[in-house]
Amino acid sequence: MTTLRLIGVGGLLAYRALFNWTTPAMYVGTLLAGPTFQLLFFAYLGRQLGVADDGFFILGNAVLAASSACVFGGTMAVANERRYGTLGHVLLSPRSRTVIFWGRVLPYAGNGLLIAAFTLLMGTLMLGLRIPPAALPGIALALAAGSLACGFFGLTLGALGLRFRDVWVVSNVSAALLLLLTGVNVPRENLPPWMADIGQFLPITHAAEAARLLAAGHGLASAAPALGTELLVGAGYALLAAVLLRVFEAESRRRASLETR
Amino acid sequence: MSAVRTLGIGTLMHAKHLSRSSFEIALALIIPLVQATLAVYLFRAGDEPHRLLEAAVGAGLMGVWSSVLFGSGGAIQNQRWQGTLEMIMLAPRRPVLVVLPITAATALTGTYALLATLLWGRLIYGIRLDFAHPLRFLAAALACVAGLGMFGLLLASTFVLIRNANALANPLDYPIWLLSGMLVPISVLPSWTAPIAAVLPTTWGARALREATSGGPVWPSIGICLAISTACLILGAFLLTSFERRARAAGTLALS
Repeated sequence: MTTLRLIGVGGLLAYRALFNWTTPAMYVGTLLAGPTFQLLFFAYLGRQLGVADDGFFILGNAVLAASSACVFGGTMAVANERRYGTLGHVLLSPRSRTVIFWGRVLPYAGNGLLIAAFTLLMGTLMLGLRIPPAALPGIALALAAGSLACGFFGLTLGALGLRFRDVWVVSNVSAALLLLLTGVNVPRENLPPWMADIGQFLPITHAAEAARLLAAGHGLASAAPALGTELLVGAGYALLAAVLLRVFEAESRRRASLETR
Repeated sequence: MSAVRTLGIGTLMHAKHLSRSSFEIALALIIPLVQATLAVYLFRAGDEPHRLLEAAVGAGLMGVWSSVLFGSGGAIQNQRWQGTLEMIMLAPRRPVLVVLPITAATALTGTYALLATLLWGRLIYGIRLDFAHPLRFLAAALACVAGLGMFGLLLASTFVLIRNANALANPLDYPIWLLSGMLVPISVLPSWTAPIAAVLPTTWGARALREATSGGPVWPSIGICLAISTACLILGAFLLTSFERRARAAGTLALS
């Protein structure tokens, strides 16, 4: 019970602290308007090139919309502690740091879900996509799975912030690679096999696939394997983040490099 | 003459400054390459492989715009954070002469993206750099850099009045890429976007580069790009002077 409290309350406190510097204007501009414009860009590009129909780009980019909040949020969960000089306090805590940092991911994932749902709504309204009402709960599940996996992916990148100084380069490049490798904008059959293979191990790939299956009316049973794989990918990154956090924490204590920037 | 010297030396200094940042260089080089790769596979998937050179040029120009947007948008704020804003504003020159080199430098370093995507396309995807008008392409690229530097001054002077300028800058990447026709032809967009696209220097810069790449009358587009950019420069200089006076009177120059 105390572990659940640590995850829930700890995560929410850290998320609220973020809003010391994040303003509503920044939230709307970066997290709501940005992904919507991204969706429109790729939908019009795809339409002009005849790569796929609007639905392909709307659903793919809606799932991907969570990535900006979740990847950068997960990274900030660790990197900002170091930046603001509070990392030492967190690492001195007598509780499991793994649980503390996992807890940080949950509000970001919730936020990612909200952004993804907003982007999907804007995409369907602006480009006129019709989604069967029966598919909506399943699509919400796909968006949630994608957001959670992205959050843990971001936490893994954030863990690198304990070891490397310029973790933001890694986050920015990773976010850009998600655009390319997850099959959100380029159908996976049009990517070289090695790129498509990498995409299998990235968040978003399977959630986007599940969302597209559901929107096409295939039902939850058809989308379940993709949904399950997305959750597995997320769990994999959660474990990897925990291992990296533990290894880099021990190393930074040994080398006294915890607070160096 | 001394104004030109101030602009030249200032631009060179700020370009060197930006080129010392591993973060800026990594983003200016790597992200446009990812976008160029994405564009190549999208154009191939769409059975338009003959337009791959256009895709590489478009992706490079997208990188130039990103550099200008974030570099120029945050030009004044960055000087504030570095504690150098008062010093440059104390310089015995007009504010436009000390801020324009910063925005011009962001456009100049943005050309790393254009060069990188062209080299990437040639080396990795074997895209032949068969420009319809190679010299005009060079002229169009120079005009684009000059034009975007001037447009950057307008961004810098506008964004300075907004406390969280990056809130405005962050979502402006994609709309300008879209409206300017950097990868998507403007003709496929809704008709109401045409007047907005027509007043953006990026639209004419992108058009000039596209015409130099695949054929077409390059000079009119270059001329319109530079004319609109000059208007942006004049407006930006006026706003900048007005901001400086207001900030000096209120004693808020260095306050973020």
